[in-house]
Amino acid sequence: MRSFAYARPESLNEALALLDEYGPAATILAGGTDVVVRLRTGRVLPAIVIDLKRVPALHADILETGTCLRVGARTVMADLVADARVRSRFPALAEAAHEVGSIQIRNRATLAGNICNASPAADTAPPLLVYGAVVNLVNATGTRSLPLAQFFKGPGRTAMERGELVESIDLPFAKENERQGAAFARATRRLGVDLATINVACLVKASGQTLFAYGAVAPTPLLVSDDSGKLADANCREDEKLKILENLIAHTAPISDVRASHEYREALLMVMSRRVLDAAIARLHDQEGLL
Amino acid sequence: MIAAAAEAVTIHLTVNGEERSVKVLPHHILLDVLRDQLGLTGTKECCLQGECGACTVLLNGRAVDSCLVLALEADGSEVLTIEGLASDGKLDTLQTAFLEKGAVQCGFCIPGMLLSAKYLLNTNPHPTREEIQEGLAGNLCRCAGYYRMIEAVVAASEAKL
Amino acid sequence: MKNHRFAGEPPIRVGGVERVTGAQRYAADLRFENVLHLKLVHLDCGHARIKSIDISDALKVEGVHGVVTTADLPQPVPRFGPAVMDWPLLAVNETKFFGEPVAVVAAETIDAAQAGAQAVKVDFEELPAVLSIDDALNPEMPLVREPELRPGDKFANTNIFKEWNLGHGNIEEAKSAFVLEHIYSFPMVTHFAIEPHAFIAAPDDDGVTIWSPNQHPFVLQKVVAATFKWPLSRVRIIAPDPGGGFGGKGWPLYESLLAFLALKFKRPVRLVLTLEETFQNVRRASARAYVRSGFDAEGHLTFQEVSTDYLIGAYAAVAPRVVSKGSYVAGGPYICPHVKIRARAILSHTTPSTAFRGFGTPQGSWGVESQLTEAAALLGIDAVEIRRRNLPKYREEFIPNTTPCDGNWFEVLEAAADHIGWDTPLAKHRGRGIALGVKSSSTAASSQAMARMLFDGSVLILTGTSDMGQGARTVYTQLASDNLGVPYDRIRIVMGDTNIVPFDNSTSASRSTVFMGNAILSACRDLKSKFQQLLVKELDISADEVEVDSGKVKIPGRTMTFAEALKVCLPTRGEIIGLGTYSNPPVEGHPIGAHPSFWEFNAVATELEVDPETGAVHLIKLVVVSDVGEALNPLQVEAQDEGSAIMGLGHSLMEHMVHDQHGRIVNLGALDYRIPTIKDIPLVMESVFIENGDGPGPFGSKGVGEGGLLSIAAAVGAAVNQAADVSIRDLPLTAERVWRAIQERSRHLEEPGKDQNSGLPADMLSR
Repeated sequence: MRSFAYARPESLNEALALLDEYGPAATILAGGTDVVVRLRTGRVLPAIVIDLKRVPALHADILETGTCLRVGARTVMADLVADARVRSRFPALAEAAHEVGSIQIRNRATLAGNICNASPAADTAPPLLVYGAVVNLVNATGTRSLPLAQFFKGPGRTAMERGELVESIDLPFAKENERQGAAFARATRRLGVDLATINVACLVKASGQTLFAYGAVAPTPLLVSDDSGKLADANCREDEKLKILENLIAHTAPISDVRASHEYREALLMVMSRRVLDAAIARLHDQEGLL
Repeated sequence: MIAAAAEAVTIHLTVNGEERSVKVLPHHILLDVLRDQLGLTGTKECCLQGECGACTVLLNGRAVDSCLVLALEADGSEVLTIEGLASDGKLDTLQTAFLEKGAVQCGFCIPGMLLSAKYLLNTNPHPTREEIQEGLAGNLCRCAGYYRMIEAVVAASEAKL
Repeated sequence: MKNHRFAGEPPIRVGGVERVTGAQRYAADLRFENVLHLKLVHLDCGHARIKSIDISDALKVEGVHGVVTTADLPQPVPRFGPAVMDWPLLAVNETKFFGEPVAVVAAETIDAAQAGAQAVKVDFEELPAVLSIDDALNPEMPLVREPELRPGDKFANTNIFKEWNLGHGNIEEAKSAFVLEHIYSFPMVTHFAIEPHAFIAAPDDDGVTIWSPNQHPFVLQKVVAATFKWPLSRVRIIAPDPGGGFGGKGWPLYESLLAFLALKFKRPVRLVLTLEETFQNVRRASARAYVRSGFDAEGHLTFQEVSTDYLIGAYAAVAPRVVSKGSYVAGGPYICPHVKIRARAILSHTTPSTAFRGFGTPQGSWGVESQLTEAAALLGIDAVEIRRRNLPKYREEFIPNTTPCDGNWFEVLEAAADHIGWDTPLAKHRGRGIALGVKSSSTAASSQAMARMLFDGSVLILTGTSDMGQGARTVYTQLASDNLGVPYDRIRIVMGDTNIVPFDNSTSASRSTVFMGNAILSACRDLKSKFQQLLVKELDISADEVEVDSGKVKIPGRTMTFAEALKVCLPTRGEIIGLGTYSNPPVEGHPIGAHPSFWEFNAVATELEVDPETGAVHLIKLVVVSDVGEALNPLQVEAQDEGSAIMGLGHSLMEHMVHDQHGRIVNLGALDYRIPTIKDIPLVMESVFIENGDGPGPFGSKGVGEGGLLSIAAAVGAAVNQAADVSIRDLPLTAERVWRAIQERSRHLEEPGKDQNSGLPADMLSR
C-alpha cells in the first residue's frame, strides 16, 4: 500500500477544515470496508486519509425526531439491523442492511459510507429510496438536505461537493393516515456473502401508490413509481399488472458482467419485482391489520 | 491528530488483556501489526479484502476483519486475537468444542472462525442453526463441510462437552 | 466416535490444540533473521513478448536490495518440472500465462519490495492468447510452445502436448440397441486453499534449505536438485503443515527460483504470494469430453467411447500424469466389453494446471455418469438400477489385466440410494441424482518410515507424509500406539524435513493411510524385533523366551516395562530404531505405471430444488458413501468426506475461472471467485462408510479423501435436470445457466421441429 497522511479530527469543524484544505486529495474513512481495499489496490491514492470515527457530531446512533428516524453518519450496519425501530418501521432496510457482507463487515461498514460509495449495486440503496430517505449534508458554512434519489449521480459519484460530509440520513415515518408496506429482495450467485446480481425494493402505500427501486441494473440505484394504484389492487388483472411492471423495468439498463448477463438480469427484474411486490403488499396488510 | 505519510506514530493497544505500544506508519494495517510487530501470528492473512475472514479479531468486542483496519484506527482499542481465547492455559469452551466435534482440519481458517464464533456466542448465547450460519458466514473454509463447526458452536452454547 | 479396532478413545486430533490456539506455525508465520522479501513482477495480460525491462527506478527505491531478471540467471535459463523440465525460473522472451513473472524484486521490507515491483518498467507487446480448447486447436492461433523445444515430437507444430490411447476391446465390434452421444464440459477452477502459497529459501553451505508447505517434499527435492544439477543431498526441504493443499501445494512453483536467489544474495529470501497470485499459479485442468455410449435393451453397456481434451496451460507440470491417470478410468467403474479412450493434454496461455483432488477423474466422471443417467431415463430404467446392472462384482475385473474391483460396490450404491430415500415421492420442482466415482490410488510408489524408541520408551515416528488437514499424524499415532502398546502422549510424529524423515513418494492419491500406515506398522514390527534381538544377546536367552508386545517385555520370570527393558539391553544408553517400507512395484508396460494399489470408490446422491423462475438451486440433502475398508479414525474420515463433497459443490454450482480476451483472469480473488460458504451447504448431509475390511492398509483400510468430489457434479446435474426438466452438460450449474436451459426448453417446446443435435466439431470424432 502506498503511504498517505492520516488525520483523526475530533470535531466536525476540524474535519470540515481538513476537507476544505485537501479537497480531492483527501479520502474519507469511516468503516473502511471499501476504502481500505481501494487504498491497498491503489484505486485511490490520497495525500491524506481523514478518519471520522472520533467526531462526536457525526454520531453513531439512530435518533428519533418527530418525523423520522435519523441515522447518524457513523452508524454501522450491524446496529441498523439490530435496531427494533428500524426492524419494525423500516423492515426492508433492515433486511437489506443484513445482506451487506458478513458480520465482520457489518460491524464496521456505515450506512453513510455505503451511500457515499454510490455503488449501483449497494444493497441499502433500494430500500432507502423507496422509504424516501433524505441525506443531510454539512459543510463549513451550513447544512443542506437532499432526497437520496438526487444524491446518486453515477457509479461511484454523488452530489456531494468539495468540503461536504454526510451528517445523517433521515428515514421519514409514514404519515398517520398512510400505511405502507415495503420489502427487499436480491439475487446472488451463492447463498453465502455475495454482491447482488440485482436487488429490488418495493413499497406499497395504502393509497395504492407503488414505488420500486432497483440496484445493479443502471448506473445508479433507480427509483420509479406507479401512481395508478393497480399493482396493489387485488381485483386488477394479472396481465395488466405485468404490463405496468414491464414499463417500470424499462427504465433500467442492465449490463453483462462477470456476475450475470443482461438478459438474465432482465429476467430477474421481472421475477424479483413480482415477488417483492407480493411481500410488500403482505406487509401493508399486516400494518392495516394492526388497526 | 495528524500523522504525516512517512511519520511513525506510537499507538497503544490492549491486546489479549495486555497493554502494548507499537510504532506504525499510517498505511500499516492492524493485521500486520499483530503478526509482524507483536509476533501474534495466529491471525492469518488470506484475501486482504474482507471476504474470507481468516484475519478476524475482536476489536472493542466486535468481530471485524483486521485486514480492513488501519493500525492508527485501532489506537486506544482492545483487541482479542486467537492467542487470547484460552485463559491461564485452559481452552475456551469453543476451542474444546471445535476439537471434540472434529471441526479442525488444516486449521488455517480456525482462528478467524473461532473469533467469529466467540462473538456470536457473546451476543447470542443460544443461537439457532441459521443464526450460527449467519454468524460464521464471513469465514471461508475449504477443508471442511462446515457441519462440524455448526455442531461445535451448538455444543459450546449448550456447554455439553 | 469410536473405532472398534483400537482400544480406548481416539486421541484428539494431533496438532489440534496448536490449531485452535493460534500456535500452529504455517510457512508465512515463520520468521527469519536477515531475510530479503521478494515480490514478483508480472504483466497485465496472458501472452506477451517481452521487449525490454528497465529496473533502474526500482533499484532506486529505498530498501530494494536487488532486482533479478533472466539476464541474471544462468544461460540457458534453468527450467524445472516433474515430467518435463520446461518451466523457466522467469519468463523467457514471452510470458505464457497471466501471472508468469518477468522479474523479481528483493528488498529489506515487504513495502519496499512492493514499491520496487511497481517501479519496474516492462516494455512488452501483447500477443494473441490461446485461452480455450478451440483456440488451441485452431491452426491460426499461435503455438504456446516453441517447436524447437520439441524435437522429434509429432505434435511439435500443434498445441497438443501429448495424446494417450487407452481402453480395451474394439468398439467396432459392439452391437447396441441404443447409442447416446454428447459433449460435456468441466470448468477451470482453482484450489483456493485458505493459506496462500509461501516459500522461503536460505543458503546452507553449498546447498539450500527451502521451506515450502509442500505435500511431496521428496519430489520437490528432486526437482530443485535437477534444475541445478545438484546432488539430492544438497537440497533440504522443510515442509510446514500446509493450510490446505488439495494437490495445489504438491508440485514445484517458485522454490527453484528462490534457491537461486538465496545463493545469489547469500541471505534467506522469502516470497509470500497474495491470494490473487495464488489463483494465477494453481488450478485444475478444465476439460471437454465427447462421450458415446452404447447399451443393449436392458441397459448393459456394450461400448464406451470417451474422447477428452484437457486444457493444461502453459507448462506441462504434472498434467501428463493427471491426464493419463484420470483417463485410465474414463469408462467408469463398469463392466463394458469395449472401451475406447483417447485423451489429449492441450497447451494454452493460461496458468499451468496441477494436481487437484480427484486428479483428472472428476472431469471424466461428469460426462460418463451424466450420460448413464440420461440413458437410463431414455431406456425407461431407474438410474440406480442401470448402475446395478453394470457394476462389477467383488474381484471382477472392469479394466482387463489389472487390479479388479476390490470392494462391494453394490453395497455402496445401495447405501446411497437408501439414505437419500431414492424410492420415496418427490415434491414439485425437486430432483434427485445419483452418481458413482472410481479413482486409482497410488500406482508405483513406496513409503518408508522410521520408528525410534528412545531410552525411556517414548517413541518418535519419522514419516514423509504431509499433514494438510486430513489428520495423518493422528492416524499414525493411533497405529503406533496400538502396535507398540505405548500411550498416545508418549508418541510424537515427526514430519516435514527431508534431512530427518525417510523417503515418501507423496501425500496424494489418498495413499497415506495405506502406504505410510503399513510402513509405520512395518517399522514398529522391526523395532520390536530388534528389541527382542538385543535382549536375546544381552540376556543370553533364546528368542522364544522373549516377548515384546503391548508396552511390556516378558522374559522368563519377569515382566518389564519398555523403559526397564531398554536399560537392560542398552547398558550405555541408546535407542532402538525400526525401519519399515511399503511399496507397490512398477509394472512394465502398464498404462499408468503399475496396478492401482486400491480403488477409491464412492457414491453421491442428492436431492435438491430448482426455482423455475430464476434457476437457483437449493440443496436439500446430500449423501456421500465411501468404501473405506476400515475407518481407523471415523471422525476424520467423515470430516474428509464432507469437505470433499462441499468442495465438489463448488465446481458443480458456482466455481469457474473467467478470462477476458487479454488472457487475464477476470474473477481474480475472493470477491468474484465464489466458493461454498457455510450458508451454501445442503440442509442435511450424511456421510456413510462401508467397512468390509477389504483394503490393503492397516486392518483392511483403504484411503479416503477424494471420494465425494469425484462424482458429485453428475449427481447434482442429474437432480437439476430432473427438477427443471432440462439437459445441462456444462458446469458449473449456476443459476443463470439453469435459467437459460429452462428458457431453451420452453422455446423448444414451442418449436418442436427444431433440430436438437448441435454439430460436433470434426476434431472430436475419433473415427
